[in-house]
Amino acid sequence: MENPVILETKNITKDFPGVRALDSVSFQLKKGEVLGLVGENGAGKSTLMKIFSGAYPANTYDGEISIEGKRCIFNSPKDSQKAGIAIIYQELNLIPELTVAENIFLAREPTVGKTGVIDRKKLFIQTKDLLDRINIPISSQEQIKNLSIGKQQMVEIAKALSYNAKILILDEPTSALTEQEVEVLLKMIDSLRARGVSMIYISHKLDEIFKITDSVTVMRDGKTVSSRRTPELGRQEMVALMVGRNIEDMYPKKEAGISDVILEVRGLFVDHPFLAGEKVVKDVSFKVRRGEIVGISGLMGSGRSELVTSIFGAFPAHSSGEIYIGGKRVKISCPHEAINYGLGLVTEDRKLFGLVLGMEVGENITLSCLEKLSWHQIIIRRREGELVNKYMSALRVKARSSETVVNTLSGGNQQKVVIAKWLATNPKVLLLDEPTRGVDVAAKAEIYQLMTNLAGEGIGIVMVSSDLPEVVSMSDRILIMHEGSMVKELQKNEATQEKIMFYATGGK
Amino acid sequence: MKNQGKSSLGRMIIGKYGNLIGLVVLIALTTILTNGMFFTQRNLINVLRQVSVNGILAVGMTLVIITGGIDLSVGSVVALTGIIAALLQPQGTVAAIALTMVAGAVIGGCNGFFVTKFRIPSFIITLGMMTIARGLALVFSKGEAISGLNDNFLAISESYISPFISLTVFGFICFLAVFIYFKERKSSGYERKLITFNFIGVLNILFIAAAAAVLVWLIGFRGMPAGVAVFLGIAFLGAYTLNQTRFGRYVYAIGGNEEASRLSGINVKAVKLLVFLIMGVLAAVSGMVLAARLNSGVPTSGVMFELDAIASVVIGGTSLSGGYGSVGGSIIGAFIIGTLNNGMQLLHIDPFYQEIAKGVIIIGAVLMDRKKK
Repeated sequence: MENPVILETKNITKDFPGVRALDSVSFQLKKGEVLGLVGENGAGKSTLMKIFSGAYPANTYDGEISIEGKRCIFNSPKDSQKAGIAIIYQELNLIPELTVAENIFLAREPTVGKTGVIDRKKLFIQTKDLLDRINIPISSQEQIKNLSIGKQQMVEIAKALSYNAKILILDEPTSALTEQEVEVLLKMIDSLRARGVSMIYISHKLDEIFKITDSVTVMRDGKTVSSRRTPELGRQEMVALMVGRNIEDMYPKKEAGISDVILEVRGLFVDHPFLAGEKVVKDVSFKVRRGEIVGISGLMGSGRSELVTSIFGAFPAHSSGEIYIGGKRVKISCPHEAINYGLGLVTEDRKLFGLVLGMEVGENITLSCLEKLSWHQIIIRRREGELVNKYMSALRVKARSSETVVNTLSGGNQQKVVIAKWLATNPKVLLLDEPTRGVDVAAKAEIYQLMTNLAGEGIGIVMVSSDLPEVVSMSDRILIMHEGSMVKELQKNEATQEKIMFYATGGK
Repeated sequence: MKNQGKSSLGRMIIGKYGNLIGLVVLIALTTILTNGMFFTQRNLINVLRQVSVNGILAVGMTLVIITGGIDLSVGSVVALTGIIAALLQPQGTVAAIALTMVAGAVIGGCNGFFVTKFRIPSFIITLGMMTIARGLALVFSKGEAISGLNDNFLAISESYISPFISLTVFGFICFLAVFIYFKERKSSGYERKLITFNFIGVLNILFIAAAAAVLVWLIGFRGMPAGVAVFLGIAFLGAYTLNQTRFGRYVYAIGGNEEASRLSGINVKAVKLLVFLIMGVLAAVSGMVLAARLNSGVPTSGVMFELDAIASVVIGGTSLSGGYGSVGGSIIGAFIIGTLNNGMQLLHIDPFYQEIAKGVIIIGAVLMDRKKK
């Protein structure tokens, strides 16, 4: 009962400046199957999907794609759509004010003759037919904004199918869904499979992968490392395949003199940004000691970032819990207070939340500590210059001068500027959210060295990271989060990437 | 790399000095077309006085626009504060000036409060305030101009500061500016080896020296008109605040990335509120200078002043999306508009066409700005 291959790639190689994102990837999807695509963040899944979607035109990579044996060249998303590929992204692309029908037939609405006037009757009938055919219980006249995320996703799927898609790619489809919605989605995938639609299911949630997929392809470091039938693969084995790489000695972690507790969090809750009543962080408590690096691991959406950002006072109205610094209970109601208590936060997205991109390197470094560089309101340039020079050389920020606009620096150097900004405030505790994301290997190693030195100086460090080797190698202790709760604490000597992945994906 | 050098130097000069070169060309052209009538002491002082009212507004507007906001209410506030100042004349000039500035602060503070507290776009709030302030001006004045201002109130626009005092103060300010400039260069702690940088440094000094020379020449005529002195003082203070103070740094940071600024510990709401408040106070100062010049509070004055101020800021190279700009640029922008207005008057060009020309210049300046980026 071997099905014919519908989508196949041969030796796809895609380079970004300095990085090989995909390394001669060969990949097969069979007709009517659901294929699970798994791998760590940065393994190359999204790059491969962007090649399938036509977001990267054919001349920007090597290798070939074929559909049903025929060679395809995708120069734009339109080509890929015509060939029958549809992708449902994590972030939905619907217009909230329009109805279901208007969204599905956007830009190709049935019109009355050639007048350009929309034939609303026909529009709604066509949509109703479509929705009925795939058993989606949503009115075609409902406005998108009145639908739950789960239903919106179904509208996206219906829209994809209305283009006669043969291949449906679902990118982390359940990350924003409630449990019931996940069940409904999985049922729908089942019925689509029965109708002969082939699907690629990308997910970090291994439970779902085992439940719904026929086969699994594992990617790691831009390569496909395994393609097998799902029943042949055990959970442990799959995790091992995902993380299996050697840790080189780029991690200079040394045992620092860990002493008294500097930061303690008790019973922290954080509200979900969109879903009223839901929490993204549920009753989290932990302690950080001086000189200790505490790693926080978990999948995307497990509440890691929200945890550290709320400790920093970024959304005081939406979090509750107790925070103690140096044993004293503190109330942090804005980032300014957090800084005064000796906290620093290196945010996950440095471009959106970490840097003022249009400002100079020096101005960014001193942004959080201008008070101590000023006489009343007046900035004392000499003091500012000295401080900037000190941190630029200490962190080896590569820029032409302190007056270079930060935007022009490489990712690694931008990240160093963010870190420099926080070091300049003399923090007692540094919260690092994905400190090495989008940073090249050399700068990564420098950041690790810096973290080690800082811990040596008695700073407590909390490091949120999706990079498992980094978490395992740099942390003294690892806290693992799953769906908002802290599910496991591992000591340095017992932590392995496999164990972390096991707990982070909901294993018990 | 090599053949890029020349064109990038050119682009750099255009980028940094485009509006200044534009102003110089405009002045030269106007002077030629008017057979030198434009470039006389009497006329230039006139231009300076005309520019002052708009220039004071442009300084405040620069701050507002750098934070990413806009203030459409300033024209109406000019009229309203002019009326308030006129009504307060019996209380004495000092009280009138002080209370009028308080009124400006209250109006600006209201703008800032609604913008920050309820996160309503400043465009909407200040559009509402524009109508409210105009209405209040008409109510307070019963729709009539209020004349008969105190003589010493009129002095804030009409009197001349004697050449001796003007030159002494001016010299002192120049000295201070040069001192700060060099101290900053020295302490920024790295050498500028590139020729392009030196070249631009030389250009900088040339332009400033030329402007100073013209100013000295004008002061020599009858002294410094008080209104102009107020304007130049505010401009100097504005530039100093933006470049040398924490508040100024925060203004740029907020305009560049509000969320990152907040997470860096900046009290974003307070800074934004203060910016609108300063704008209100400056609108009041501008309103009083205008009232003194007209010798009356006029409820229908100041119409479209907000647009002249915004145009000055934009011509001066400040980004409407915030985060980037300078007071110096806005002043150049104000002079471009002032020169244009005055030149066209001297040439007896139909005022209707003047409006069109002004619009074309504004759009042209912004297009040039786009191109440079």
